[in-house]
Amino acid sequence: MVSPILLIAVPLALAFLTPMVGLASKSARRYMPAIAMLFNFIVAMSLLPKALEAPIIVRTAGWAPPLSIHLVAGPLGLLLSSLVALIGLLVAIYGIDYIREGARARYDVLYTLLLVGATGVVLTGDLFNLFVFFEVLCISSYALVAYRGDSAGVEAGMKYLIQGAIGSSLVLIGIGLLYGTVGTLSMADIASSVGSVAGSRLFISLAFMIAGFGVEAAIFPLNAWLPDAHSSAPSSISAVLSGVAIKAGLYAIARVVYTVYGASSILPFLAVLGVVTLLVGEMCAFAQEDIKRLLAFSSIGQMGLILFALALSSATGISGAVFLIISHGLAKALLFLATGYMIYRTGSRDISSLAGMGKRMPIMSLCFTVGAFSLMGLPPFVGFASKFTIVRAVLGTGSTFFITLLAIGLIGTVIEGAYFLRIVQWLYFKPAPEAMPEQTEGRAPLTALVPVGLLAVLIVTIGLLPGIVGRALGPAADDLLDRAAYIQHVMGD
Amino acid sequence: MNFLTSYIHYVGCFALVLIGLYVALVKSNLIKVIIGINLIDTGVNLFLVATGYLGGGTAPIFSKAAEQSQEMVDPVPQALVLTAIVIGVSVLALALALAIKVYDHNGTLDLRKLKGLKW
Repeated sequence: MVSPILLIAVPLALAFLTPMVGLASKSARRYMPAIAMLFNFIVAMSLLPKALEAPIIVRTAGWAPPLSIHLVAGPLGLLLSSLVALIGLLVAIYGIDYIREGARARYDVLYTLLLVGATGVVLTGDLFNLFVFFEVLCISSYALVAYRGDSAGVEAGMKYLIQGAIGSSLVLIGIGLLYGTVGTLSMADIASSVGSVAGSRLFISLAFMIAGFGVEAAIFPLNAWLPDAHSSAPSSISAVLSGVAIKAGLYAIARVVYTVYGASSILPFLAVLGVVTLLVGEMCAFAQEDIKRLLAFSSIGQMGLILFALALSSATGISGAVFLIISHGLAKALLFLATGYMIYRTGSRDISSLAGMGKRMPIMSLCFTVGAFSLMGLPPFVGFASKFTIVRAVLGTGSTFFITLLAIGLIGTVIEGAYFLRIVQWLYFKPAPEAMPEQTEGRAPLTALVPVGLLAVLIVTIGLLPGIVGRALGPAADDLLDRAAYIQHVMGD
Repeated sequence: MNFLTSYIHYVGCFALVLIGLYVALVKSNLIKVIIGINLIDTGVNLFLVATGYLGGGTAPIFSKAAEQSQEMVDPVPQALVLTAIVIGVSVLALALALAIKVYDHNGTLDLRKLKGLKW
C-alpha cells in the first residue's frame, strides 16, 4: 500500500525539480504541475476506500504520535485532498497554454507549491505542522496573485500579503498560547487534554486562531483582500484560489473548533458570521460590473454558506458543508477558467462585453452556464444537491435560531440567482456589438476546452448521481464530529 | 509589581506585538507597514521562546546538566521559532520585492495614494 505521505512528498519534490527540467526542455517543464497533480489524484483516490473504514496514520521518524509530527489521512482529509488534486490537475492542464507571459518557471513551481500546501493542511495531524503548510499555501498565493507584475496585480498581492501576514501571526500566537497551556502540539493529544483546562484559558487562543485562519477563509469582516486578489490574478490562479485555497482556511477553522477544542458553544457565533458573510458577499457581487470581481464576491458568499453549514454541528449539516465545498470548488473553478478565455477574446472584463458570446464561443458559454446554474442551486446540477442537504440539515435541527438564520441566508441565494441570470442573459440574449474586436489568439485551444468540459460533465454527473460522493460524506462528517474516535485512532495502541 | 517581575517577558513580547500592530494599521508608508509586520513576527517569536523558558535552565542538548530534565528549557518552542523565523524571512523578502514593484508602477510608497483597486 502506498503511504499518504507521498501526497505531499512527491509534488514537493517535483515542484523543486521543475526548474531543472526546464534546463533540459522548456516545453516539458509546462507539464510538471499536471504530472504532480495526476499522481496525487490517483494516489488519493486509491487510498480513499481504505480511509473510509479507518483513518490512516503516518508516523514520521518512527515515533508514536504524541511525540512525532504525524499525518492523519482520515475520510475528510483524503476526500478534500482528492478534490485539491482534481481541481489542481484540470487547472494545470488549462495553464499549459493559458499562461503566455511572465516568468513561466516561477509559475509552475509556485502553482505546485500552493497545492502541496493545501494538501498538507488537510492531511496533517499536528497543529504547528498545520501552520507551516498553511504558510506554504499563503506565501505561494501572495506571489501568484502578483504574478503578471502589472499595477493591479502587485497592489492586490501587497494587500493580500499584509492582511495574510498579520493573520498568520495571530494563528501563531494562538498556537503558542495553547502550547503553553497543554504542553503538546499533536491535535489528538491536545483534544484529549483540553477537557481538564478551564474554559477561559482556552478561549483566548481559540479566538486568535479563528481570527487568523478567518483571514484566509475570507470570513466577514476579514475578507477585504479577496475581491482584489482573486480578480487581479491570472484566471487559472483565480480558479485555484477560489476553488482550493480559501477552503483550506475554512477546513483549518473546522478542524480546530471541532477536533482540537470541541468548542460547541462558539458554533452559534460562527453561524451568525457565516450568514453575514453570505449576505455581504452576495450583495457586493450583485453590484459588480467586472465579471471576475463578481465571481470573487460570489466566492465570499458561498464561503459564508459553508461556514454556516459547518456550524450546524449535526452529521447532515457537516455532510452538506463538505458537499458544498466540493460543488463550489468545481463550479467556481469552471467559471473562472471559462471567463479566462472570454476575457482573452474580448480584451475586457466588463459584463457587457460578453454580449453575444453564446454564438462566438458556444462551448465555453454552455459550460459557463452549467457552472452558474450549479452555483445558483438549480437541479439537476450538483449545487442543488449540496444546498438541498444543507436546508434539510437546518430543518432537521428544529431550532428556531438556525431556521431564522437560514431564512435570512436564502435571501442571499435569491440575489445570487439574480446576478447569474443577468450574465447568462448577456451571453445568449443580447446581440453582439457591430464591430467585434476579434482577437484570433483568443480562440480556446484543446487544453482549455478539455478541463472546462470535464468540469461541466462532473457537475452534471454528480448532480444526477449524488451517491458518487455521497458515500464518502457521512464518514467525513463523523471525522469532524466524533472526537473520541479521532483521539483513539491517532493515539491508539 | 510582583506580577511584572514574574511575567516580564510576556509583557515585553506582547508589547512588541502591539507596537507592530499599531505601526501596520496606522502608518501609510508601505515600508513602515512592512516593518510593523516584522515587529509582530519578532514579538510572536519571543513569545514562543518565552513559553518554554525556565529560569536558570540550560540549553536542551545532551550534557552533564541536562541529565536532570528539570534543568533544561523546553526544546520544542525553540524548534518552532526556528521554523517561524524562516517563514517570517520569506514573507519579508516577498513583501519588499512587491514594494519595489509598487514603487515602479506608482512612483510612491504612500498607501493613501494607491487607488487602483477600490470596492
